Amino acid sequence: MRRSAAVIGVGHTDWVGDWARVRAGERPADCYGYGARAFRNALADAGIGRDQVDGLIAGPTTAYERMGEVVGLNVRWGDQADAVLSVVQACMAIECGLAEVVALIYGNDQRSVGTQYGGPQAMGGDAFLSYIYHAPWGMTSQGALYAMTFQAYMHARGFTEADLGEVAVAQRGWSSLNPNAIQRKRITIADYMASHYVCEPLHLFDYCLINDGGVALIIAEAERAKRICDKPIYIEAVGRHDLNEGATSLAPRLTSFYLPAQQAVAKQVFDGAGMGPEDMDVFQVYDSFSVHVPLALEGYGYCRPGEAGRFLREAGIGPGGRLPTNTSGGHLSETYMQGWAHQVECVRQARGTAGERQVAGCRRVHYSSDVAGKAVSVIYGS
Amino acid sequence: MKTPPAVMGLYDVPMWDSIRARRMALQRCTGCGTMLYPPGPVCPSCLSDALAWTPISGNATILSWVIFHRQYLEAYPAPYNAIGVALEEGPIMISNLEGQTPEGNWIGQAVKLVYAEMADGVVLPRFTCAP
Repeated sequence: MRRSAAVIGVGHTDWVGDWARVRAGERPADCYGYGARAFRNALADAGIGRDQVDGLIAGPTTAYERMGEVVGLNVRWGDQADAVLSVVQACMAIECGLAEVVALIYGNDQRSVGTQYGGPQAMGGDAFLSYIYHAPWGMTSQGALYAMTFQAYMHARGFTEADLGEVAVAQRGWSSLNPNAIQRKRITIADYMASHYVCEPLHLFDYCLINDGGVALIIAEAERAKRICDKPIYIEAVGRHDLNEGATSLAPRLTSFYLPAQQAVAKQVFDGAGMGPEDMDVFQVYDSFSVHVPLALEGYGYCRPGEAGRFLREAGIGPGGRLPTNTSGGHLSETYMQGWAHQVECVRQARGTAGERQVAGCRRVHYSSDVAGKAVSVIYGS
Repeated sequence: MKTPPAVMGLYDVPMWDSIRARRMALQRCTGCGTMLYPPGPVCPSCLSDALAWTPISGNATILSWVIFHRQYLEAYPAPYNAIGVALEEGPIMISNLEGQTPEGNWIGQAVKLVYAEMADGVVLPRFTCAP
């Protein structure tokens, strides 16, 4: 599938403006409304009309059929998926001939409607979420799961809280250069260490933002993409490996830190692209919590297991660092679009249009997510 | 002070009955000996449905721990802890550590199952440091 599909358009909503509006008590849009605005921007970026789109993938917070209705898309193929899986599925649909130009649309009104990823909203019910099962013991949030993972990880690897602080500090370094980022004030390791714990050992700065917004991407079959667009950003390869054993009891998080799954994905995605970690110019990691970053550095072979602390301190992932990572500021500092905005940043860095935060000469960007036992990677290339 | 409700699927009911009787039992596969947590319809190791409810020893080791510094739930004012323990029989479960907590690092601490009665009468399996 190497380079058989490419991103031809990206768009998103005004995260900074909507952050202020929502905090002032307004509700600028619902999930569909944010999605529709982002889609309009992605169409404009691609320079195409809606009539060229024949596939649609809606994000997890919106029904596929209703999203199609809202944005006036009568496509021949569609589905609903999370950020990285929607990219993978778009490639699969294109590869199978089910669609040629796929719109990926995500909108989320999580801040204005007060969504909580834990607490009373994460109790009972039949929906499978690993943390719901542990509600009787007061363990109901993703933050707590990552705090528990991180405690075991620190012990196993000799990693420290200050080492983890390097992630939040580096990502603020990047977001300070990004006009689309909600949190732009630079912080230091001392600020990080002085910040309060939410679920110890995680500090406030280890947690993602919760904000409203939308993101859209348009992915086209490669030949079609070349006809439409001057600089398509190709999907070089994708990889996925899941760990379902212990999905409720959390064994993969507490005992192996997803390492076997990430190593399997690394082999698949790097072999598929004919490249290695050393060929990547920028790394983007799904960072609902900063903990994802050291796990991914080790899991994808940017450093050896046990070396992430030294890598963060000495090689560096911030501006000027050896491995520019989450160059928009990520979920911690730019916007929490559940992985969708990371795809936009991958495309902008590979296009060379990331403004002040542009990594010089960037051609290849690696995106990784490890959420709920699914390790998934995409390599984008110009 | 309502205890956050447990997931109560078809296979969870007998486990919670055993907890209420203060004799916590899990399903053991009579074919290969695997212990199941959470309870389920078949053995994930060999797919057998010949599962026998078997009391657990209550001996466990702490794998990880956290301290919540914010209150999210009525029954859990901050600060409170949650621990991940490996039961002697194999499964990992999430619970709380009661009584004296270890100085410094908790990982590797031997713990013993106790039954805590919550304000609303719900009985929870929790752990204390083993002597």
